[in-house]
Amino acid sequence: MPADAATMKERIILHLDMNAFFANVEQQANPALRGKPIAVIGSNGRTVITTASYEARKYGVKTGMAIWEAKRQCPRIILVVGDNRKYTYTSSRIFGMMLDYTPLVEVFSIDEAFLDVTRSLKIFGTPERIVYLLKARIKQSFGLTCSVGIAPNKLLAKLASDMKKPDGLTVIRPDDVSRVMDSLPIRDICGIGSRTERRLNLLGIKTCGDLGRFPVDILKRKFGVIGQRLHEMGLGMDDSPVVPAGDQDRVKSVGHSMTLQRDISRRQDILKYLLQLSEMVGRRARRYGVSGKTISLYVRYADFYSSFGRQQTLATPISQSDDIYQAAIDILDTVELQQPVRLLGVRLSNLQHQAAQLPLFPQERRKALMVLAMDAVNNRYGDFTVTFASLLNTEEKGSHVISPAWRPDGIRCVDVQ
Amino acid sequence: MATKGIPIRIAVIYEPGKRIRPIWFELNRRQYRVVETTYHWRDKIGEAHFLHYTVTDGEALYELVFSPTDQIWTLNTQQTE
Repeated sequence: MPADAATMKERIILHLDMNAFFANVEQQANPALRGKPIAVIGSNGRTVITTASYEARKYGVKTGMAIWEAKRQCPRIILVVGDNRKYTYTSSRIFGMMLDYTPLVEVFSIDEAFLDVTRSLKIFGTPERIVYLLKARIKQSFGLTCSVGIAPNKLLAKLASDMKKPDGLTVIRPDDVSRVMDSLPIRDICGIGSRTERRLNLLGIKTCGDLGRFPVDILKRKFGVIGQRLHEMGLGMDDSPVVPAGDQDRVKSVGHSMTLQRDISRRQDILKYLLQLSEMVGRRARRYGVSGKTISLYVRYADFYSSFGRQQTLATPISQSDDIYQAAIDILDTVELQQPVRLLGVRLSNLQHQAAQLPLFPQERRKALMVLAMDAVNNRYGDFTVTFASLLNTEEKGSHVISPAWRPDGIRCVDVQ
Repeated sequence: MATKGIPIRIAVIYEPGKRIRPIWFELNRRQYRVVETTYHWRDKIGEAHFLHYTVTDGEALYELVFSPTDQIWTLNTQQTE
């Protein structure tokens, strides 16, 4: 038996995917919504569909669709403003349940996780039994359903969980891999986006079987280093481990962005949002003891499609909100805005962990102590309890969107509203 | 949706496993019997924790919030069909 096949047979990986998560939570919370086409939207007036229930999906309503488009597809659709705290709590609880079956849990997003249960079978018997136990607990605690894939690696487990929805369980055994992959369209594999799909199609590759059989040398020439990876994907091979939260690489950046309620052009309005974003980035950086040398500013214009991103690297790492704000203004001043602004983002990168240094001069020392005092008050009473005077009249403060990078704990755990 | 954060009189059962089950609550001198607790979640503002319960009396949906620090129950939202 080839080494790769032996490795694949040794591991048992689960991929758990919550079904239409946010919509399902809302349907559980409100019995009047059950069995009806609903879509969860953000609190911002210019939001898109965050998640649609299965009843709405039947009409063609999809995540990311504009509200008018969703209403056109399904005139009876019920729009529900999402409650992010409900979702992050539920998600954290479900991830906690997973840890009862294996310590090897990798949170992939707010509603997806991988579990390596290879070494849990002595206690729980079979992987199917673990799935039944987990599904029953999730159903009993929250009334929610999920789809689970069982396979020898993460790539196949994710593929399997997509095969039966909602409330499915699909097993891909090592002996089934080549049969399953042979006719599977390449777009169904996690990691092959529409651009790569188009490029592969031009080579006559339509299915994973085609991809696996295609000469790897040509793939490497066309796609560079990922050519080898594409070849392995076609064969259903993936030796990437399930990485629990504590073993993951340190975060490389801390950032926040926000879509504004209305397009803005006045400098003082833009500065107000930049200050708010800088405070959010600074607060999170200080809470987790990181500072960074590189500040990035991202602006998306009113037409939605055009944008720009610039960054500057400073001589010393910073974490205080007003320093981040000043650096963001410096970047803003280097460009002439082409249109009104729709979205703003500020990011701190080039991070140093635990790099806090006591300021030498009295004025800086006083400022550092003031920031510490503000953080202490905000930690106790909530973000923005004490803040910059110019933010006092700002209507919406804080994060209102769950980032794909959200995790149940650590620096990626952002308090959303 | 109705007003937020009205303090209410409430009867709950503390069940094993740290579960709290609202039984009835009073609002404007009227008693509402909880037919079903449809959802529950927790959140945190600063260091203060809050327990949220979505309940129905069969006619409307209510969000009840318990503050363990202050030992106060409030009615957060009321939603009718």
